[in-house]
Parts: sequence; C-alpha cells; structure tokens
Amino acid sequence: VSMRSTTAPPSERPGERRRAEMKKLYGKEAPKILAMEAAMQLTFDRNCDLKRPKFWPVIPLKL
Amino acid sequence: MQCGWPMLGPLQWIRYVNKQVTVKAGKDEVHRGWLLTVDPVSASLVLVDFKENGGASVHVVMGHAVEEVQILQEADEETADRLRTSFLPPRTCGLDP
Amino acid sequence: SIPTAAAPEADAEQLQTEQHARSVLRETFLRCLLSMSNKKVRFHMHGKVKLEATFGASDIDILNFQVSDLHTPIGVQKEALIRSQDVIWFTFDK
Repeated sequence: VSMRSTTAPPSERPGERRRAEMKKLYGKEAPKILAMEAAMQLTFDRNCDLKRPKFWPVIPLKL
Repeated sequence: MQCGWPMLGPLQWIRYVNKQVTVKAGKDEVHRGWLLTVDPVSASLVLVDFKENGGASVHVVMGHAVEEVQILQEADEETADRLRTSFLPPRTCGLDP
Repeated sequence: SIPTAAAPEADAEQLQTEQHARSVLRETFLRCLLSMSNKKVRFHMHGKVKLEATFGASDIDILNFQVSDLHTPIGVQKEALIRSQDVIWFTFDK
C-alpha cells in the first residue's frame, strides 16, 4: 500500500512544537511561563465561549 | 532609542526596567512613569505612577505604537522595591531567587 | 517574530542570560494582565477614540482583549473584543 503524502502521520504530538519553541525562548523557566500562559488563554477562551463578544470596532481602525 | 523598539530584544529592554522613562507613542502623546516591564511578545511597556494614597496608576503602551523611549532617572531602593512587589502575590514576596 | 540570539557554544551563557531576561519580563507582564481582570480600563485608540470597559482577559499573543460593558462614542456594547493593533495605550488604577 502506498502512503499518500496527505495522510502522513504527524511527526510530533500537538503542543510539542510550542513547547520546543518556549524552551528556546525561555530556557529553564519555560514550564512556568507555559503554565501561566495556558491559564490565561483558558480564561480568554472560556470568556469568549460564554459571552460571545463581538469585535469593536467591526472594521479595524488601523489596517 | 529612536525607532525599532519592538526589535530591541530582552537584553536591551531589561535595561529600561526600574527606570523612570518618557515614552512617545501615537503621534503626540507622551507618557511618563516607572518602567515595570516590557512584554517580550508584544514589546508593550508597563509604566507605573505611584500616588500619594499608596495606590498606583498603570499605563500600558502598546509596542507597535512606541516611537521613542527616554530614560530620565534610575529608581531609588524604595521605588525599586515598590515596583518589584507591585504585582506579586503576597505569598511569593521575597521568595524568588 | 520574537528575536532570538544565535547560539553557538560560546554564546550559551549569553543565551541563558537572554532567556532569563525574557522570562522575568514576560512573567511580570502576565501578572500585570492577570491583575486587570474585572478592573475598569480606559483604552486610547488610533484616531483619538477613547473607550472605557471592564477588563476580562487577553489572549497570550496579546492580539485581542476581551472586555465587558464597553463604552464607545456610539453607545454601550455589553461584550466586546478589542484588537490590540487598534490600541495605542490603556490605563487602569491598581
């Protein structure tokens, strides 16, 4: 069976790339920053799910 | 610092921390305050202005709007201390290396 | 688009110094953002537009601010997202 390029298995688990990037940027303090960011993004996502905010203004002021 | 503020990087930004600075942003607006930090992701500056009643007003200037940053003076020990503890949860005060 | 130092062996120490500086700066910034939740914030936007709102949260890329009770020049919007690109600066009382 030939493998189609579009179904090639992912070479990394989700989040792996971001973890590697964080390690490069923040070194040994990366896990702490990653944890703080995860909590903040979770709050943001949850608030957006619950409150369904709309962009204001609708069109960006600065394009 | 005249331009390219977002490109400076952490080693440059951190030299502005604990300094009183003026920041020119968005045409003719100038902000003055003690620089608490610079977000390494957005290059935004956080300026703190301590009030007489013990409170503080905080100004965050977005990195993309920064035109010029100038250092006025270095914080004395008391000001540096107030800055350092201004956003720390009380329980970790003084425990960070 | 975050600048990073090139890191051959000789620069390992420099890289660590830079990583530490970036961590300290970022952690302080995140703490500042977290302290803003439920606070009244005034935004000064491009085009001399001024907004007042109750802060909710920011995404980690600092692209959007989620706010409530946004007072705009044309009325109040109960729930809103503000693009950070539209903002010049914002202020709140600690």
